[in-house]
Amino acid sequence: MSPPASRTLRAADLEALAVGLCLLGSGGAGDPQPFASVLRSQLGSGELVLHAPGGLGGASVVPVGMVGATSVFTEKLPHGGEFGAAVAATGRWTGAAPDAVMGIETAGLNGVTALVAALRLELPYVDADLAGRGLPRLDQLTWVTAQLPLTPCALAFPGGHTLLVDSASATEVERTIRAALAGTGGWAALALPPSPAALLDETACVGTLGRALELGRAHGSLRVLADAAEVAEVLGGEVLGEGRVHDVLRHSAGGGLQPESSVTVLDRNGPVLRIETENEFLMVLVDGEPRATVPDLICLLDRRTNRPLAVDALRRGDEVFVVVLPAPAWWLAPGRLDRVSPAAFAIDSPPLLLGGRP
Amino acid sequence: MSAASPVPLVALLAHADWQQVSVLAAPPAPTLTVGGVAMVADIRGRAADLEGNLLTVLQPPLRDDWHIDVLIQTAAASRASALLIGDSSPLSQPSSALAARVGLTVLGADDPLAAALAARRLVAEVELHVSDTVLRVTSAATRSGEGVEDVMKAVGSVLHRPLALVAAGGDTLLGADVVAEEDRETVAGTLTAGAARYRVTQRVELSGSALLIAHPVPPTTARDATVWLVTRLPHDLPAESAAASAALSVAAAVIGQRASLRRLAVERDARARASLLGELLNAPDDVAPTTRRRALEAGWRLDGWHLGIRIDTGPEVDPVAQRPEVIGALQEEGLDAVVVEQGDGWSAWITSEDEPRGADVEARAGQIRSAQRRLAATTPTAVGVGRYHAGPRGVARTLGEAGEAARLAAGRVASGRFLHVDRLGLGQTLLAWTRTDTFQPAARSLLAPLEGQPGDLLHTLTTYLDEESSVSETAAILGIHRNTVAQRLARIRSLLAVDLADPSERLALHLACRTIWIPPSDVG
Repeated sequence: MSPPASRTLRAADLEALAVGLCLLGSGGAGDPQPFASVLRSQLGSGELVLHAPGGLGGASVVPVGMVGATSVFTEKLPHGGEFGAAVAATGRWTGAAPDAVMGIETAGLNGVTALVAALRLELPYVDADLAGRGLPRLDQLTWVTAQLPLTPCALAFPGGHTLLVDSASATEVERTIRAALAGTGGWAALALPPSPAALLDETACVGTLGRALELGRAHGSLRVLADAAEVAEVLGGEVLGEGRVHDVLRHSAGGGLQPESSVTVLDRNGPVLRIETENEFLMVLVDGEPRATVPDLICLLDRRTNRPLAVDALRRGDEVFVVVLPAPAWWLAPGRLDRVSPAAFAIDSPPLLLGGRP
Repeated sequence: MSAASPVPLVALLAHADWQQVSVLAAPPAPTLTVGGVAMVADIRGRAADLEGNLLTVLQPPLRDDWHIDVLIQTAAASRASALLIGDSSPLSQPSSALAARVGLTVLGADDPLAAALAARRLVAEVELHVSDTVLRVTSAATRSGEGVEDVMKAVGSVLHRPLALVAAGGDTLLGADVVAEEDRETVAGTLTAGAARYRVTQRVELSGSALLIAHPVPPTTARDATVWLVTRLPHDLPAESAAASAALSVAAAVIGQRASLRRLAVERDARARASLLGELLNAPDDVAPTTRRRALEAGWRLDGWHLGIRIDTGPEVDPVAQRPEVIGALQEEGLDAVVVEQGDGWSAWITSEDEPRGADVEARAGQIRSAQRRLAATTPTAVGVGRYHAGPRGVARTLGEAGEAARLAAGRVASGRFLHVDRLGLGQTLLAWTRTDTFQPAARSLLAPLEGQPGDLLHTLTTYLDEESSVSETAAILGIHRNTVAQRLARIRSLLAVDLADPSERLALHLACRTIWIPPSDVG
């Protein structure tokens, strides 16, 4: 497998990038727009190189991202030094400063945070991440499936304090960080332990930001009032239905931490679509029959503007396309599906993926 | 277990055993039938062979669970007739939208197992349901209280349907109003006296899908009118109508038996009263101590002043059965009388502590007369009232007078067949004198102008004079308006050219009337 060629990112690409990141967020992962503005001013007229991991040899790459409530992010603004503080903390603990930056989750808001961090830390950006799509929990990252530790990791809070976790399992890391966030409120910058770039081809989703750009550009080429067939062809997925949101049923049946809801879409041609959600869209049933599940990307697009709609922005009466896009390729290799399958979201359905994979 | 034939779901929903079942989505069409019951433990369970069956989920699912949608889809795809799930809270929006889309009726029940078993029995185990219902009805009916009402209540609580006793012709005698006005003709056509003789259960199809099941109540005596024990079912659910037919034949027999027992007790009491009265009437000078004791036990006061009342009626009336009505009519007028069945009628008397004054006597007579009018709606009677007499012998004496007065009253339609013996003396004397050959032609010519005139003037005049020239009393007796009476009197005055205010003219007219006027009922 030849490493993908490096690409560049300019301010002009940011609009397409934001749309692509929303599609990869599958209804969750936060709105990239606020941070995209920060990035736009940082980029100015310059450009950012998106390095392929294969081209960096033995460099150590630190995954960074934001954890916590994405909605609080716009209220409790960053002071800018959080990512530096988190990366510095892991550096102090491991005794080596990283050579490059990558994302934890290249989807939604976090697709942009790693870029901002790279510019601020003046380190190269590697187009790889540990999720490939929007995922709600740290114990679902590729490293956990690849049996790599998530520690030592550091959290830097906007208030200035820093938390370092070491020698903990993925589940313990997830639990500790959720508890810390609940205690301080809001969000924090997270840095995971640096990894040699050479390992990333095997242990991370490579080229996700590139995919976001491509998706965003393709989306930009859609005509206003495009029909379902055009949407499916241009985005490279399948349209399961188009119609009006009849009801958004918010519930918490599982007693889980995530807010759950069921979205009913009445297809204009008759079928009843039901979309089960947590932070992201997880499963689509058409006339009571499950048709698509995670880890494929289930997206609801506004039928007039084609704009992707977030789970918590859906309202009764919205006219939507229900679209499924292929899951990130990394997860589809044998033995990797467990942590992103429907069962990982307490849905007792086998994974139903586009084209009958895997 | 007998072979199942599908029954309409709407009929199951209307059955008492399915009271707890409610429709959550896609209300069933009247044609939707259930041929059997399939059960699964929980929402994820799957059952084979659902076609035409009611799929029941025993464990109540959370309403938000998407598995409900999958089950609705599966049930609809395998052509199940309906889906029954635990607890009756409403379906979520997506599930009800889907049920409407695929056209699958979804039902909810707080106890789905009980509902499923009830459905299975009603659909596929008809004999079991019938025998179980009959056992329960038998047990409830035989253990119920003494009255016919008690039996009906007990049976109704087992069948959970309205019950009524209906006369041939469709009139409800007791219980719920089961015959609607529009069904009356159909019901009257089937529930005839002739049909009752065959002692078989009748089915009457009513408007809508309703059904009437009726069984004749066995008569106690040959004189008893035909009575049907009837229940109304909202749908013809074969298990229910079969069970109701069998149950009603049992209940009708019990009701007949209760009626006989009651009749027996009433007859025994009547006989005891009649024999006691016989002893009183036939006693020589003094009443025997044993008779006094029995009278005391019967609650009769032998001391004080007695006013006898004799009520005669026709042979078609059953004095034993009608006695409560007579007591009731007297009580309505404030008269607390002892009433004894005797011959074709009743002998009754009221007792007061002290010797009554003249005004009291008139008041009593007026009350008795009102009581007679109350009875007139159901029973025509001739009533005679005696004079007050004191002591144990007084009962025999006043009843003797009352009996004679009643015999005279029977022929006197003009006075409403009522006669008080206080007035008897003068009337009898005059009547005896006027019925002579010399007076009759004179009377006839005196009243000749009234003959052939419209308005029954002769009758009106006789009544008016009999009633002391009271227009209102005349109107009451003839059953016409007082203005009509006044108008007739004016015509009589002009036709006869007499002054009714003149005592001698009035007396002559009155005598003439008494002589020639023959009451219509006495003709022939």
